[in-house]
Amino acid sequence: MALPDIMNRRATPAIRKIQEQAIGSLWFICAIFAVLTVCFILGYLFYNGYPAFVQIGLQDFLFGMVWNPTGSPPSYGILSLIVGTILVMIGAMVLAVPLGIASAIFISELAGPRLRTVIKPAVELLAGIPSVVYGFFGLVVLTNWIRVSFDVPTGETWLAGSILLGIMALPTIVSVSEDAINAVPREYKEGSLAIGATGWQTISKVIIPSALSGITAAVILGIGRAIGETMAVLMVTGNAAVVPEPIWNVLSPVRTLTATLGIETGEVPIGSLHYNALFAIAVVLLIITLIINLSATFILNRIRHAQTGSDDTKRWFSQDKSVQIRRFLLYGFLGMVLLLVAVAAGILPCLVLLGAVIALSILWKRVSAKITQKIAYSCMFAAVGIVLAVLAIILLDIIVKGLPVISWEFIFGYPSNLGRAGGIFPAIVGTIYLVMGAIMIALPIGIGATIYLSEYTREGLVTKTIRTGVDLLNGTPSIVFGLFGFAFLVIFVGLGVSLLTGWIVLALMILPTIIRTSEEALKSIPNAVREGSLALGASKWQTIRKVVLPAAVPGIITGTILSIGRAAGETAPILFTAVVFSTRFLPNSIFEPVMALPYYLYILSTSIPGAKQYAYGTALVLLVIVTLFYGAAVLLRTRFQKSIRW
Amino acid sequence: MVIPLHLAFIEGSGIKTGKPENPSAYDDSNPVIEARNLNLWFSDAHILKEVSMRIRRNKVTALIGPSGCGKSTLLRCFNRLNDLIDYTKITGEVTFDGENIYAAGNDVVLLRKRIGMVFQKPNPFPKSVYENIAYGPRVHGISDKKELDRIVEKSLRDAALWEEVRDRLNNSALGLSGGQQQRLCIARTLAVDPEVILMDEPCSALDPIATAKIENLIEKLKQQYTVIIVTHNMQQAARVSDDTGFMYLGKLVECGTTTQIFEHPEEDLTENYITGRFG
Repeated sequence: MALPDIMNRRATPAIRKIQEQAIGSLWFICAIFAVLTVCFILGYLFYNGYPAFVQIGLQDFLFGMVWNPTGSPPSYGILSLIVGTILVMIGAMVLAVPLGIASAIFISELAGPRLRTVIKPAVELLAGIPSVVYGFFGLVVLTNWIRVSFDVPTGETWLAGSILLGIMALPTIVSVSEDAINAVPREYKEGSLAIGATGWQTISKVIIPSALSGITAAVILGIGRAIGETMAVLMVTGNAAVVPEPIWNVLSPVRTLTATLGIETGEVPIGSLHYNALFAIAVVLLIITLIINLSATFILNRIRHAQTGSDDTKRWFSQDKSVQIRRFLLYGFLGMVLLLVAVAAGILPCLVLLGAVIALSILWKRVSAKITQKIAYSCMFAAVGIVLAVLAIILLDIIVKGLPVISWEFIFGYPSNLGRAGGIFPAIVGTIYLVMGAIMIALPIGIGATIYLSEYTREGLVTKTIRTGVDLLNGTPSIVFGLFGFAFLVIFVGLGVSLLTGWIVLALMILPTIIRTSEEALKSIPNAVREGSLALGASKWQTIRKVVLPAAVPGIITGTILSIGRAAGETAPILFTAVVFSTRFLPNSIFEPVMALPYYLYILSTSIPGAKQYAYGTALVLLVIVTLFYGAAVLLRTRFQKSIRW
Repeated sequence: MVIPLHLAFIEGSGIKTGKPENPSAYDDSNPVIEARNLNLWFSDAHILKEVSMRIRRNKVTALIGPSGCGKSTLLRCFNRLNDLIDYTKITGEVTFDGENIYAAGNDVVLLRKRIGMVFQKPNPFPKSVYENIAYGPRVHGISDKKELDRIVEKSLRDAALWEEVRDRLNNSALGLSGGQQQRLCIARTLAVDPEVILMDEPCSALDPIATAKIENLIEKLKQQYTVIIVTHNMQQAARVSDDTGFMYLGKLVECGTTTQIFEHPEEDLTENYITGRFG
């Protein structure tokens, strides 16, 4: 035979088998790490929160009206905090849900390809803006606007928090709804149009009902985003632990669970009842977000099953039910809007609006389909316009006011006079250090876990457990990571407020993003390619290393870049674990604290009077850095989608 | 008597080297692959039922039968590719050169090197043409550039693709046409120098011209290799194969030389299928 006997040149089967097994177990360890971390964090929070539940009493804790842990006697009732959290979230949803869904419909059904290439990145940019920048914008622009236009003593209110959170939840709602709408088979749409239905009839009667469960999941995820957010709410809601009086007074200050953790964790005596109570708050917060995220995952999984066509899910998503859900959502939504109008303007306009709605709904049935379509399309157009306008206002404000500050000295100088002069060089370097370290830790573990999940194991209990662990980690509010890092790493392990602590906390936070995006990348590679390699006698690891991973690299890089952007903009997790406000030195070792842009901006805008100009400059630099990363990720993704067609 | 299509083809092609096929001289005493009482389940579904079959050396064996009869599954038993599917259970045995490939401790990787496979849909790796071919030899330990070059050229020539791609060896394999991609996959299989080549409906995604090229290739390949081909297309089975096995509902209804199966089937079921009464 012409070819040499090539089998002689490889390792013997026995050695190869051991190698393969060793590599497999390495990935298993990575995967199990995610689960163990989640368990450990949960356990640690419960362990520290438990004394509070016992000493305060579950009922007094959950339903006590007064939160005053430093008073005498101290009082630990978190009802006002829970109410504050829920109210801010509801307000945010009233704004974000209609805007988000309308934008999603517009992007996927109405916009031409050109318009889409403008709007989609714009929405993604909205997602990329760090929450502390939102908070800063809210503090200097939004609260002022509210104070002047509603003639109230301070603009730091529930309304301000809701508006900001609404904007922040928008991208989640838009992108998940858009995915759901895009997943509706083209045949449905064509079938409807082919029998002479108008575009809007097709959208409202065929596409939206089919995508309804996905849209529901989008809303739930948006709620999760709103509840887990810390910095932006902290900066604009006034943080008075009171229940608004009357309950619908949007101009009252409120305080959320996350904000309480953000404000008090740094100053609490370690081991006191107050300390335990903060952990108990984290537990409550975690349980709320857990329920929200698990229900979203549940719904999204149902959809995946329904698309593969198993019987019982079809029953679950029967037409009756979707009509019911639609009706429920519609009325619930209407109710909420009416309530808000009643709050803001009084009972009379509310009645007028109710009348108008009833009149409209009667009229609705009489106008022709074409006019309905025109009205509906204009509404969606308006929604997208609002979203784009909001983005433009935020960006313009920060660019116009921040640009004059930018100079050589600002970028490469050291801060002086409490940030009112000098530059932000240590903060830029600190941010870069933090992000790079976090990626170095999270990337190998994340990719290892992904490889195990998608290549080494069949779907079953183990993968389900690991996936749930990753989901939970993903849904954990960033402030909870901060609290955990502070209590466990800084105090208990004794790492102190240091670069290293910051790395670990940020790595934990971005781990789920890396795992999810990498898993998607690996899953997009057809099985036929793996079989092709295995059928040539390549071992499993050879197949993964030489065929699967190279093909997945663009996807993995995209995920990594997104994580970098996210880590660079986060404030809450590093608040108590890694940063100082101002230092004239760069860190010499990983056990020293660093400056970081988001934290610097936070302190500058909340605690240093007269530093507004420099705060704008800092916000601009942070925005540019984060935007660059997101831009790169978006670019890479589009190129990748174009270049590979299986 | 009308001369069957496949005989016309074989006699006209002049490729056939051995003695003319004689149904009475069917000698399967030294099979390269043999299945004995093979049963296979995917979770609860009983896919293969008591399949016993002998594959003759340096012959082309076709597996025919209606959709879902288990022919692809049987094929994938021969290189243990069904192992990749969750909840698979197998009883009985498959021997390759007399050794049970399902015996504990058997090296699957070595087995798959010796038994190559070409898939229904061309599945080139997202790499260059050259890298696609060089991949197999590389994973089996060849790193010498000259030797790789030689293997790549020889494999592409053997797969009748060399002339078409010699100028674009470094272009992505995903840019080739469907027929070229499939011949690339065959070349990729040849590059690791297998003894048996399994083909799972290799022409079902191709146009008639590309199909003709692959069929010619199969004729050539059997001088060096044993080929087992699953096909839906009975004319194809008649054209390219020496032996044929007919499967129905997970059972091997009968097998023998193609001439015998197509002209004097023993079972009514086979005759009904071949004459197009069902399928």
